Amino acid sequence: MDLQSRMLLKHEVEEFLYHEAELLDSKRYQAWLDLLTDDIHYWMPIRRTTTAKEIDKEFTQPGGVAFFDENLSSLKMRVARMEAGRAWAEDPPSRTRRLITNIKITGSEGDNIAVQSNFLLYRTRLASEEDSWIGRREEIVRRVDGGFKLAQRHIYLEQTVILAQNMSSLF
Amino acid sequence: MNTQYFDPSTGLLDRRVFSDDEIYQTELTHIFGRAWHFMCHESQIPDIGDYFMSWIGEDEVIAVRGRDARIYVHLNTCPHRGNTVCRAELGNTKSFFCSYHGWNFGLNGRLISVPGEDVFYRSGLDKPLWGLTSAAQVDTYHGFVFATLDHDAPPLSDYLGWVGRLGIDLVASQGTVKFLDGVVKNRVQCNWKIAVDNLYDWYHVKVSHGSALKIGMMQEEPLSLNEQMVLLGQYGHGIGGPGLSEADYQASAGRIRAGKGENRHPDITLKWRLNPESEALLGPIGKRCFGHPNIFPNLWVATTSQLCLRIPRGPLATELWWFSYEIEEMNVKERRNNLFAINHFFGPGGILEQDDGENWSHSTRGAKGTRSQTLPVNLSMGINTEAVGNDAPGQTRFETVVSEHAQRWMYQSWQDWLAAESWQALMANHSTPPLGPV
Repeated sequence: MDLQSRMLLKHEVEEFLYHEAELLDSKRYQAWLDLLTDDIHYWMPIRRTTTAKEIDKEFTQPGGVAFFDENLSSLKMRVARMEAGRAWAEDPPSRTRRLITNIKITGSEGDNIAVQSNFLLYRTRLASEEDSWIGRREEIVRRVDGGFKLAQRHIYLEQTVILAQNMSSLF
Repeated sequence: MNTQYFDPSTGLLDRRVFSDDEIYQTELTHIFGRAWHFMCHESQIPDIGDYFMSWIGEDEVIAVRGRDARIYVHLNTCPHRGNTVCRAELGNTKSFFCSYHGWNFGLNGRLISVPGEDVFYRSGLDKPLWGLTSAAQVDTYHGFVFATLDHDAPPLSDYLGWVGRLGIDLVASQGTVKFLDGVVKNRVQCNWKIAVDNLYDWYHVKVSHGSALKIGMMQEEPLSLNEQMVLLGQYGHGIGGPGLSEADYQASAGRIRAGKGENRHPDITLKWRLNPESEALLGPIGKRCFGHPNIFPNLWVATTSQLCLRIPRGPLATELWWFSYEIEEMNVKERRNNLFAINHFFGPGGILEQDDGENWSHSTRGAKGTRSQTLPVNLSMGINTEAVGNDAPGQTRFETVVSEHAQRWMYQSWQDWLAAESWQALMANHSTPPLGPV
């Protein structure tokens, strides 16, 4: 792919990811769900402090214990919960802002585009609760009907013990 | 009876127990310094040199499988200058090497080598005296590893008593228990005891977890708010939550045996109890118990797929550590459902637990205000309305509607621990599970 095509593709993917982040920041969850493919895998493994020698044990593996291991139906369930009332961790609602950076296209196969990015999800709640989640995402963005949908979001957080009292936000 | 902070006759608790630093320091010495504490499950450290880091109060400890296949528990502090000798939270090692001056310790804690032993210390260091400090006692029950820092603590089995053992039997009777890789950890701005007493609290479920109920993630029926069983054990252990009457147990057992088990409570969770070995292990009362056990002070044995430690981090913060297990005999579908429950109900992203942290932290905040903290916490639900039967001697229990009996028992026992100056004193002066009217 020549430089111009690569720049165009990256620009399109960036616009998609910025739009998607904006939907979450503005809590338009139903519109956000519409951007997910039926076979989406949304996953955040558990991270551990290990010695340098045993760094291969740092993350739990797919199919094991995880902070999030979601498919479309379980993500719909999470959204339904937030919109059901009595979801106290989000009522009053948290304020969130997502900064998506270092976006890199790492490969493509058919309609699937592999994307890597960094994120900062900043949240405040009530008067003084403040959480910052920084991490890396490995994603698959898929071309569907002339647009994009998200087919994979693997989230690698830069924390072992989660220092927030919950993770009620979507990443 | 000591009623300094909690009055069992009224169920009123002094809110300062959730915020006062002096009380917290006494808890560290009198409770965490003396009790038996859950470290990990044997299946987490199967091979020689496997280790898992945990905490006893604010002391970091290493549970490690030694060369003799025994499990050792050591304080993670070098006897030389106090530095930690292990910085990873799990792994496998041949020894524990201090990164400050290079003192090296065997898996059994003995000091193996000291750089410059001959030249600098001129053989003046008595190495056998300078090993890692090990737990006073380490023992296991059904593969659950416990340790205590107090030589005077009673043996683990006596410490657990009937109720503590039943808490673990409710897991062990399901089959061959294997703990899964990955402990979910997060920090909540609440006092550790609020996180503990909440596990007995079936009153909060419909409100705190209203969103999960509304979307059908949780059914109301298994909550059994009108058919509860509360078991009280010595030293503060307890089990609180749903219980089945013998008639309902037999009805469910009958359906299952006839191949007509229904895909709902209690048939789903009762199934494995019908295995003759499981039924024998649980006994006639334990088999009807579906509540939440807490092994005092801070191990919630959530008897379906997980356990949670509530580790104190000062009076105003607690780390929640979720351990997860599966049963080796599970089929593919059961294994999948088990993992789905593990990854969706509890932990910081859990659909149930997200909302708990919010309530616990704000309840802790209610113990900080100068005027607010002079108000009591009201744990009076069901007080003076029940009688404890003695049809099964030594197996004290209530079979009742939702109540706060278990919470009251926990704080009454907690107060005994705080008042006692030693294990000897606690053994002589601890509340015994009540009989008769309460």
